Amino acid sequence: MQNTNDIILKAINKSYQKGDNTVVVHDDFNLTIKSGEFVALMGPSGLGKSTLLHLMGGLDQPTQGEVLIGGQRIDNLPQKKLTQWRAENIGFIFQSHHLLPVLTAQGNVELPLALTPLNRKQRKQHASMALQLVSMSERADHYPKELSGGQEQRVAIARAIVSDPKILLCDEPTGNLDRKTADEILALLAKLNSDSGKTIVMVTHDHKAAEYASRVINLESYILSQNNSLSKNEELLQNIEPEVDDISIGASS
Amino acid sequence: MNLWLLVWRNSFRKKTRFGLTCLSVMVAFFLFTTLAGVNHALTASVSSINQYRMITSHKISITRSLPINYQQKIAALADIEQVSYASWFGGFFQNERNQIAVMAVEHNSYFELFDEYQIPKPQLTQWKKTRTGIIVGQALAKQYGWQVGDKVPLSSSIWMNRSGSFSWEFVVSGIYQSSKQAGDNKKIFFQHAYFDKGRAYARNSISWLSTKIVPQANVEQVISAIDNLFAHSNSPTRTTTEQVFVKERAQQFVDMAMVINIVVIAVFFTLLLIVCNTMIQTIRERLNESAMMKALGFSSASLISAIYLESLLLLSLGAALGTLLATVLLGFVKQAFGDFLPGIYISPEHYFTVFALVNIAAAFCSFFPAFTIKGIVISETLGGNS
Repeated sequence: MQNTNDIILKAINKSYQKGDNTVVVHDDFNLTIKSGEFVALMGPSGLGKSTLLHLMGGLDQPTQGEVLIGGQRIDNLPQKKLTQWRAENIGFIFQSHHLLPVLTAQGNVELPLALTPLNRKQRKQHASMALQLVSMSERADHYPKELSGGQEQRVAIARAIVSDPKILLCDEPTGNLDRKTADEILALLAKLNSDSGKTIVMVTHDHKAAEYASRVINLESYILSQNNSLSKNEELLQNIEPEVDDISIGASS
Repeated sequence: MNLWLLVWRNSFRKKTRFGLTCLSVMVAFFLFTTLAGVNHALTASVSSINQYRMITSHKISITRSLPINYQQKIAALADIEQVSYASWFGGFFQNERNQIAVMAVEHNSYFELFDEYQIPKPQLTQWKKTRTGIIVGQALAKQYGWQVGDKVPLSSSIWMNRSGSFSWEFVVSGIYQSSKQAGDNKKIFFQHAYFDKGRAYARNSISWLSTKIVPQANVEQVISAIDNLFAHSNSPTRTTTEQVFVKERAQQFVDMAMVINIVVIAVFFTLLLIVCNTMIQTIRERLNESAMMKALGFSSASLISAIYLESLLLLSLGAALGTLLATVLLGFVKQAFGDFLPGIYISPEHYFTVFALVNIAAAFCSFFPAFTIKGIVISETLGGNS
């Protein structure tokens, strides 16, 4: 039986125009992520990992196919409804935190709550709680320029979780961080997954980061396993930029 | 945190740019308000003129004289209520730098026709009895410390008297005050009879006639009737309403209203380009932030509203400062030079115009950034390299 927060990508085709050429990113791609999973999407650049994340978050639409989140099809939602749905259900964490420099950590975390019916006091309380969860309470009044890269990312995570979304979509969340800080951030994400039951989908090139996930999907081998014939995916694989240190981990628990 | 706070903080993010743009807005509205005040001063005298009064002068030029008996001939026409006349004296007090508008007027009718000059009745009666009497504007009397009964010698740059001198002796019989907001309180009037008998040449002539018509009269018909009456004489006439007459005299120098309009349009066009460019640049710099806000669930409409509010804040601040500065300055000018430019005045409508212009400009300046915001593709802007 389908859980209310499962992410299902069904027969996804995604292509875009590059000059006169049509570049196919995904062709008949299928993926199901169960509610409460912490999934790491790995694979070489150009294979469409971020594209998948954008499709799950309603930031992009497939050329063909269906994106179902919690049983609701989101790829054909009108823009206004999609925006609202995103505000209620999805938290984004990007490699670049994109914090607003004119707002304090508290202000940045409160930002998504401006879209909710919460009053000022409630917004403040929620933001404080979110900052507490990422151990940034003491830096609540600091502006982004006064924070380190790791602290900025923590604030970005607090902003992503403050409206209590069921799904967190993370695009290279530790890409700009040193190992120690990256581990702290990943531990935090794992904690959010285990304690709050949030479904987390994380795109990463970092194998160590992937170790924090409950399931690792190497997109290259996943696509190949989906299709018996290599020729069908020849075009897709042509887009791949090979990475020297890429090691196929495959699905693991 | 709310959107207002974000707008406020974003506005002052680039302080130098905000300050300079605000300064340009301030200068534009300072000019706009100052020119509006000056324009009012220049046009108020025209707009406040009695619409039933007409001026008849020589067809070729007002510097040419007309026969004094034209008064009776015009008075005999239909729809004429009253006719008076005047001659330009071209006077100054003590030296030529102290130029004064001095006019010889028909003493029995002139102040009945021009009832905006308020003169205490005993003074007016006394003036009519005193051949050398003058009625002096209050501001002028104050300037030279003249009082009723004072003897005042005035010189004419045009008229020599019968004793061969250009200096004429007068006595102050009364002091007038104009009832109009933009009224001139610096004129001198004296009896035309004294002028006519006293001058060495050109007797029985006048500079112009002032005619008051009955309210139900057809202005065009009366004008034609007067001018047709003298069309084949040695002194043909040109009659206009007093408003047209005054306006034509003013426009001999420059069409101030047109100049002001051109300046204002040019200033506002430049202003729009400056602010619009600032807002376009601003939104380009914040493309990532806007994309992130969209990803968080903010709609394009709310982001466009924020840009509109930011433009509005910038324009409002500049406009308020510029308008305030101009109002204060015009207040000082009015205090210092009110006698020369009595009509300096900023109407409440002007402030409403400023308010409307600020809003229109803010909407215009948000127009192009709105397209940028609307066109943001979150996935492309925030990227993702895989």
